[in-house]
Amino acid sequence: MSVSIVHTLRVLKPAAMIGLAAFIGLIVGFYANAAFFPGTSPEQPIDFSHRIHAGDNEIPCLYCHVQARRSISAGVPSVNKCMGCHNEVATDRPQIELLANYWRTGEPIPWIKVHDLPDFVHFTHKRHVAADIECQTCHGPVETMDVVSREAPVKMGLCLNCHKEHEVEFGTDCWTCHK
Amino acid sequence: MLAETIKHPVEHLFPYSVPPEEYSPGMVTWYNSVCGMCPAGCGISVRTREGRAKKIEGNPLHPVNQGRLCALGQAGLQSLYNPDRLTAPMQRQGERGSDEFVQTTWEEGLSAVAQRLEMADRHSDSVVLLSQGVRGHFANLLELFMRELGSSRLLHYDFAHPHSLHAANKKLFGEDQLPYYDIANSRYLLSFGADYLNNWLSPVHHSLGFGHSRQGDDSARGRFVQIEPKMSISGAAADEWIPARPGTEGILALGIANRIVEGGYTGGDAEDWSAALTAYSLTRVAEQTGVPAETIARLAEEFTHAEPGLAIGGGAAGNHTNGVDTLVAVNALNYLVGNIGKPGGVVFNPAPMSSRSAIDRPSSRHANHQAMQDLAENARQGGVMVLIVNNANPVFTLPQSTGFKEALDSIPLIVSLSSFMDETTALADVVLPSHTYLESWGDDMPQPGVGFSVGSVSQPVVSPLYNTRATGDIILGLAAKLGFREAIPWASMEDFLKDGWREIYARRSPASDDFDSFWRDVLRSGVLGENVRRESTAAVDKRVIDGIGVAEPEFSGTNDDYPFILHPYMATSMYDGRGANLPWMQELPDPMTSIVYGSWIEMNPVTATEMGVTDGDLIRVTSEQGSIEVPLVTFPAIMPDVVAMPIGQGHDDFGRYARGRGSNPIQILAPTMDPESGSLATSATRVSLVTTGKRAEPAKTGGVARQLGRNIVQFTDGSSEAAGHSTKVNGIPIVVEPA
Amino acid sequence: MARFAAGWRKYRKPGYYDEFDYAWTMSIDLDRCTGCGACVTACQAENNIPIVGEKGIRNGREMQWMRVERYWEGEYPNAKLSFIPMLCQHCDTAPCETVCPVSATYHNQDGLNVQVYNRCIGTRSCAVYCPYEVRYFNYNDHHWPKPLDQQLNPDVSVREKGVMEKCTFCVQRIRQAKDHAKDDGRRRVVDGEMQPACVQTCPAEALVFGDRNDANSKVSRSMNDPRAYHVLEELNTSPSVVYLKKVDADAG
Repeated sequence: MSVSIVHTLRVLKPAAMIGLAAFIGLIVGFYANAAFFPGTSPEQPIDFSHRIHAGDNEIPCLYCHVQARRSISAGVPSVNKCMGCHNEVATDRPQIELLANYWRTGEPIPWIKVHDLPDFVHFTHKRHVAADIECQTCHGPVETMDVVSREAPVKMGLCLNCHKEHEVEFGTDCWTCHK
Repeated sequence: MLAETIKHPVEHLFPYSVPPEEYSPGMVTWYNSVCGMCPAGCGISVRTREGRAKKIEGNPLHPVNQGRLCALGQAGLQSLYNPDRLTAPMQRQGERGSDEFVQTTWEEGLSAVAQRLEMADRHSDSVVLLSQGVRGHFANLLELFMRELGSSRLLHYDFAHPHSLHAANKKLFGEDQLPYYDIANSRYLLSFGADYLNNWLSPVHHSLGFGHSRQGDDSARGRFVQIEPKMSISGAAADEWIPARPGTEGILALGIANRIVEGGYTGGDAEDWSAALTAYSLTRVAEQTGVPAETIARLAEEFTHAEPGLAIGGGAAGNHTNGVDTLVAVNALNYLVGNIGKPGGVVFNPAPMSSRSAIDRPSSRHANHQAMQDLAENARQGGVMVLIVNNANPVFTLPQSTGFKEALDSIPLIVSLSSFMDETTALADVVLPSHTYLESWGDDMPQPGVGFSVGSVSQPVVSPLYNTRATGDIILGLAAKLGFREAIPWASMEDFLKDGWREIYARRSPASDDFDSFWRDVLRSGVLGENVRRESTAAVDKRVIDGIGVAEPEFSGTNDDYPFILHPYMATSMYDGRGANLPWMQELPDPMTSIVYGSWIEMNPVTATEMGVTDGDLIRVTSEQGSIEVPLVTFPAIMPDVVAMPIGQGHDDFGRYARGRGSNPIQILAPTMDPESGSLATSATRVSLVTTGKRAEPAKTGGVARQLGRNIVQFTDGSSEAAGHSTKVNGIPIVVEPA
Repeated sequence: MARFAAGWRKYRKPGYYDEFDYAWTMSIDLDRCTGCGACVTACQAENNIPIVGEKGIRNGREMQWMRVERYWEGEYPNAKLSFIPMLCQHCDTAPCETVCPVSATYHNQDGLNVQVYNRCIGTRSCAVYCPYEVRYFNYNDHHWPKPLDQQLNPDVSVREKGVMEKCTFCVQRIRQAKDHAKDDGRRRVVDGEMQPACVQTCPAEALVFGDRNDANSKVSRSMNDPRAYHVLEELNTSPSVVYLKKVDADAG
């Protein structure tokens, strides 16, 4: 019994083309989704260096990111917090001049959010800080960064792994994190 | 590299320069205030996040609503954040009604109005201020302002103001107020047309009372009887719904009163009552009302022996030519069973908590229909130079026959202080838009009260969204421009309010000097109550008893030409039309018919069959005044010769959600009035119905309105034996019906 | 074979849990309900329910996580109307949970029927399976004309086109209540501390919400009321919503 290869090929060829296109699309889509990529570090309006502040000067995280202890969002410090020191400290540096300008004009500094969770995720800093989790666990070694970059891929896996490992009560329930 | 080119949208983080004291990001701040969506004056607590109002709840500390809130109150958020809000002062550019306005500044707007006010002769009453009904210190401010202007024409105008009820209370009890109806402690409520659960007086408080009377007391369950020609939601909640001929509710009440007096009323004035009521025999009343004699006798029996019984009246029953007499008759029932001033009865309120009691507000401030007609006539004669309208919409809520819209043509300057471009504001020359109640300072002493004195403070819960001002500040601004600094020295409404409350504080704690703590406490709780009650003198003058009687109601149009009686009622979601620009209210299905986004007319199914019409037919409804076209809906609980239509839709303006939707039944109402109260007899219009031959199905959310054996709503007759015994599965009880 | 049978029996047992941590239950007293619809609007405000519009409703695409149904009995002049608020019953043996091909809906440890919007692929079978018809599908992307979007609740997702949604017993409030309990050092949420939006606003106090595992809670008392029943009980869905029969004093 012989099966005509020509007939088979006629069906296979378009099917294979579609399949190949889909496969390439999948790969491209995967890589195109920046969420999967750690290491994104956008350029900020002021070259604030965590290495100088949190690393060399050992300022604790919660000194500036006050909200983390009592709110769902950690937030960034208000400009008057920076000026608290920088009224006197290093006032001649060009970046500090930029900061002083923002303070004088009362304009808020347009920081770019590095750790951005999608809107459907409920993440509360308060509970995690209360559980004595170090900021570095998720945010990486921020005290060594000159420019903050997102170290951990902020995917669901990050949350789930930790919740499973530490056996968080009902930590794997979808509605714990999904709104 | 690919990741660089295809990025997430960038999200920014803006810190504060100096963090605000009022809120922290991610954390909730609550503000207590007063709801402004209807005259009931419930207390609210507003949840805000990052300076934005997110949810309105009832204030648990407020005695009127005790933490609960109705649908319209919840929708207040959409009034604040409405996309069609007026954002800045405007001046008319084109013809009146052409909708051509140009934005201007507050300085210019206020100056323009102040100039004209000065030009108007100070003592000739040519300046009219027409406001929605307001209470509290803002009402005092309006009084002051008009007094300084030299005008006595300050009118509070509300479509639903119960003029007849005020008049009836004054007539029988000598009390010109809305009393507190203690429904919670009543065990038998006889309601003559009052839709007390929907929008009569204080619906949230009444609902609380209803719930408590029903199932809040293990020893007794309250029984509710509703007497009206078309079933309202209070009628649906009632144990017994009794249709009586429209306008004869008062005759029915007197029939019951007669039975009570005959059945052994032992008051000292029994003879007077007997003489006055002797004409209201069972047979005669049964004939006039259409209610069977046995029913009347039974109601009288039940009402007398209820512990305690309460009779209320209002709504359509009060909106006939015999409205006041009807409500006097209802009052008489309460008097005869002796529930005045007692728990479960009619309790009169003490004087409202006020500092400036010197400003006596006569109840004639509340403009009844006669007053509005007079105003229109006076305007046509050229007697009005300036009309200032504050959040009232008479062009929508007055029948066409009043000619109010046309009368406005004769008024040289019309100023509107409304927050929205409603029909009346569209005809204004200068628009000075107000903040909504969520952005304003104010206070309220709710009416009807709760039997003791209550004052609540309204504070802004968000920063103002637009270039608008609090109404009080607009009046103060005008006062300043007019040079009234001596009599009206306050710079802002907040100052005026605090000064007023300083006097309340001084009265309460004359020895102490810490107003700031007091004020903080009042703001924090939102309400202040004073254990001041009123001794109710339940005595009725003999002359009043002698004059008791209810005449047959009169209607416009003859029975032959206009075979149906039109029963307009305020829709749950719309109130008097103010809910129409709120999308949540348009989308809230009418409880009885589940219709959304439109108007409809309800008719008895048998009548509909006889007429050869069915659900969804477009019907032309014609009165002596005009006609409108509305889709038909068959409605099982309405009298055969009565048709009912909800009020609230049919706006020409008022924003994208309200405009061009449905029809306004008020337009075709006859100018018939109750001569005694001067109020519009809204239920006295006869109409004819003719099918247009076209179809216009209303949009409904509900499906089939019959259970068809599905047993979704189950009933019990109240005896626990019949309910079966309960077992539990997985902790959930499963009721097993006895075999 | 025995292992298979044991596994099958476990699978067919109601729910995934032998016992719930909190067993959230709501009781609705039909003798108190006035049909006013405050619960409907409160839910809309709390949960970012979209405005579907007239056209949508005419197409049967209404979006009301809590709706008030009305049923007539009899004819004029003895017609009677009853209202019944209907919401997701959070059934312990929910038919919708068994059919979802991607397990976007399941029963969690609190006795709640969870709907995960991210997982949902929009087959709508769950809506078909639900006997109470309380599941609603987003046929459109929804927009809130500015500034109505300022009112949106940040604790609740804004759903996009193509996902099913339904009442969650205001899980964001449950989550917050548990958070507060932890802040205070307590482990458990106190009865009455947390109420869904509908329960909080009901003017007639017809709705009661709480934990039926707590024998002293208000809702447990409602469940023991002789008037208690479940809607469509015969379908054995084991709902977490208990209704109290309406008293028809003139019946029988």
